[in-house]
Amino acid sequence: MSHSDRPWTAYYGPSMRSRIEAAQFRTIGDMVRAVSHLYSDKTAFTACLPNGINGSLTFKQVDEMSDGLAVYLREAVGLTQGDRVAIQMPNGLSFPVAAFAVLKAGCVIVNVNPLYTAEEMAHQFADSQPQALIVVDIFADKLTQALKGHQIPNIIVTQVAEFFPAIPRGIVRLVQKHWDRTLAPITLPHIRLPEAIEAGRQISQRKSITVEGYSSVLSPDDIACLQYTGGTTGVAKGAMLSHGNLMINMEQTMEMISDGVEKGREVALTALPMYHIFAFTVNLLGFYYLGARNVLIPNPRPLSNLKRAFENYPITWMSGVNTLFNGLSNETWFLDTPPKHLKFASAGGMALQSSVAECWKEVTGKPVLEGYGLTETSPVITFNPLGKTRPNSIGIPVPSTELSCLDQDGKEVPRGEAGELAARGPQIMKGYWNKPEETAKTMRGDWLLTGDIGVMDGDGYFSIVDRKKDMVLVSGFNVYPNEIEDCLARHPGILEAAVIGVPDGTSGEAVKAFVVLRDQTLTGADIRAFCKEHLAAYKVPKTVELRADLPKSNVGKILRKDLRAEETALRDAS
Amino acid sequence: MVGPLEQAILALMIFVIMLGMGASLTPRDFMLALKRPYGLIIGVVSQYGFMPLIGFLLALLLPVSDPIKIGILIMSCMPGGTTSNIFTYFSKGNLALSVLMTVTSTVAGVVMIPIVLILYAGALDVDIPRENIIITLILLLVPVGIGMVLRKFNANIGAVIEFMGSMLGVFFIVFLVVSWIPRNFSFLLETNWATYVATIAIGAIGIAVGYLFAKVLKLHPRNARTVGLETGIQNGPLAIAIIAFTFSGAEQQAINAVPVLYSLFIVIIATLTTLYFRRANTAAEQKMPDGLL
Repeated sequence: MSHSDRPWTAYYGPSMRSRIEAAQFRTIGDMVRAVSHLYSDKTAFTACLPNGINGSLTFKQVDEMSDGLAVYLREAVGLTQGDRVAIQMPNGLSFPVAAFAVLKAGCVIVNVNPLYTAEEMAHQFADSQPQALIVVDIFADKLTQALKGHQIPNIIVTQVAEFFPAIPRGIVRLVQKHWDRTLAPITLPHIRLPEAIEAGRQISQRKSITVEGYSSVLSPDDIACLQYTGGTTGVAKGAMLSHGNLMINMEQTMEMISDGVEKGREVALTALPMYHIFAFTVNLLGFYYLGARNVLIPNPRPLSNLKRAFENYPITWMSGVNTLFNGLSNETWFLDTPPKHLKFASAGGMALQSSVAECWKEVTGKPVLEGYGLTETSPVITFNPLGKTRPNSIGIPVPSTELSCLDQDGKEVPRGEAGELAARGPQIMKGYWNKPEETAKTMRGDWLLTGDIGVMDGDGYFSIVDRKKDMVLVSGFNVYPNEIEDCLARHPGILEAAVIGVPDGTSGEAVKAFVVLRDQTLTGADIRAFCKEHLAAYKVPKTVELRADLPKSNVGKILRKDLRAEETALRDAS
Repeated sequence: MVGPLEQAILALMIFVIMLGMGASLTPRDFMLALKRPYGLIIGVVSQYGFMPLIGFLLALLLPVSDPIKIGILIMSCMPGGTTSNIFTYFSKGNLALSVLMTVTSTVAGVVMIPIVLILYAGALDVDIPRENIIITLILLLVPVGIGMVLRKFNANIGAVIEFMGSMLGVFFIVFLVVSWIPRNFSFLLETNWATYVATIAIGAIGIAVGYLFAKVLKLHPRNARTVGLETGIQNGPLAIAIIAFTFSGAEQQAINAVPVLYSLFIVIIATLTTLYFRRANTAAEQKMPDGLL
């Protein structure tokens, strides 16, 4: 039996479509418009801050505001179809408005991780050349430095409590300014998001411009997002995801849970950042499509920040990563009052440990369904079907998706044997932005090589056994050893360094650096401090081991696999 | 010492603060504290078991006059005060437990205060002013209830009231200390060291003993912090009222020195304890990686 027999289809739910050839909507803008008309005055998004202060937008408001901003981007800023617009903000009411507006305008979203340092932002800006940036004020402090290379002519600034009622918003501003001191004055010329929306509305009325005009010329093949990912070589690359990729992957994923959700009645919790592809497709697009009330958490750290959201809203559905489920299962308040309306939870982004899944089920009485995917696959490839969840399995391929295990020569391995997972389906990216040679390395015809080593069992359930690439997966974010080693190598006191991933209780994997010193007075803490200046926090090595030398091949190449073997031996011994 | 207008303003402030405290609570919080009543039982034992004993030992060991001894005993037999709820809130303790402990010890006080006083002071016969007990309960329960309802009605109104209440709470604490000192400055100069030691020790030892007791009995750190604050923070105004009902003239004046001084020092001690508890709470929080969270 091979993947071509698609044995997994036997496990699809009774009312599930086993094939989804074309998405219901041509573009994301079309979906937003249709869904907004359907659910009109129902609450689409509620952003909930740690103390319970919140703001909400209805489907209609999201639709109208994103229309206004889309017109502003096209008519006032002068963007044209295909222009990139960078969005850098945590979860909040501005995110859906900004994202939908960019897509309705026929432009391309470049999601920028707010945790990035100025250096990392500069690289992403230089590569994607955005013409506009929509940024939240608390992250604007890095902008001046990040824009030294590529200038972004148009900057739109939003706030964490944007679109909240006036008094709560005022309180949030006061606390940010005088207590947290997170608000630095923005020196770059900019316009505030509500002003941009209003300006767009006025232009739209004056010139009777409709947003439908922008999207009617779009095809499902047009790029919706440049979603940045490290890739094998560590150079950040933008995966080109089209409207069709994202729309169909959203439907494929929603199809897997269709027997467990009721349209227009769910209350979803979005604690994962929507700038990450998992939350973007599943939470932002998927829950909107379902007509759910989406409770957005701007910052889930510390986890007590989620307490009020769980108390105030009857959460029926949530998505998360292993780290989140594990953390919540260890919070006293969560154990005391587990969410009683919860139907199930979905996990992605990183491997879900079976101990965590069991503990979660014990606490909440509801299962966690694990899925699997890559940025390059919009992202969902497999998902555990509701009611037929298997531990330590990433589940079965979503409709119209094929997954196969290949050997070194690209031939399918016999069933039950491990091979590199290769995926084919309508959600596979168009390629990497401006990097045809990188695309060529990843694609084999229609097949995308994932770099993960997996096994398929007789029923068509897949499991991940190893990773081909040296990449480290730190709570859902790819960390590439090359990049960290390059950073370490720039330190004058460091002779050489090697970086590997080691298992970690909280983040799944953690970055570990092995360093040979030139300056013997240097400590592990100094090295970590140095990395913090140049790298996003999740990339900074969690542990630094100082060594006299590193294992090398006969041509002098540092052997990470030997270091990994040493670590494994040490762990096994203990 | 405190005029009727001032008293009314203080009562109004407490009302608003408790409204805010209430807005941070849900019925589930109370259900949980009642479902697992160990915390509550430990609190009441600590309140009427340890506190009077601490007071008795202080009165016995310290070279203080007889009126001061009486004051120390009365003070240590008091139920938990409303301020304990405010400090519990700021300490990130279990506010529902704190409110329940205050209510329980206040209601139980009608019976327990005379019993422990007879136990430790022999024939000391005091009148328990029931109206003060009722006022304490009303000032506590009515705004907490309204706060909870408002939050249920609209989470934003709840959050805003909670914010306002907590701001007023900080102001209230500062106000108590700042307004107290000039009003009682000459009194401060006249008081001897042993009285100072006693009035500081009641609160400080009370908090420490209550906290350690709860710790030994393996209460969750959050609940242990709550029991500590609740045990050490007594209802000062109730003590003053009881003294006013029971004694008169110069004797009343002399005894009153204890609750008056206690009320000053407990605010300072509880503030320091709260700062410490907050830090402990932050340190105990799960460290979450930056990555996907």
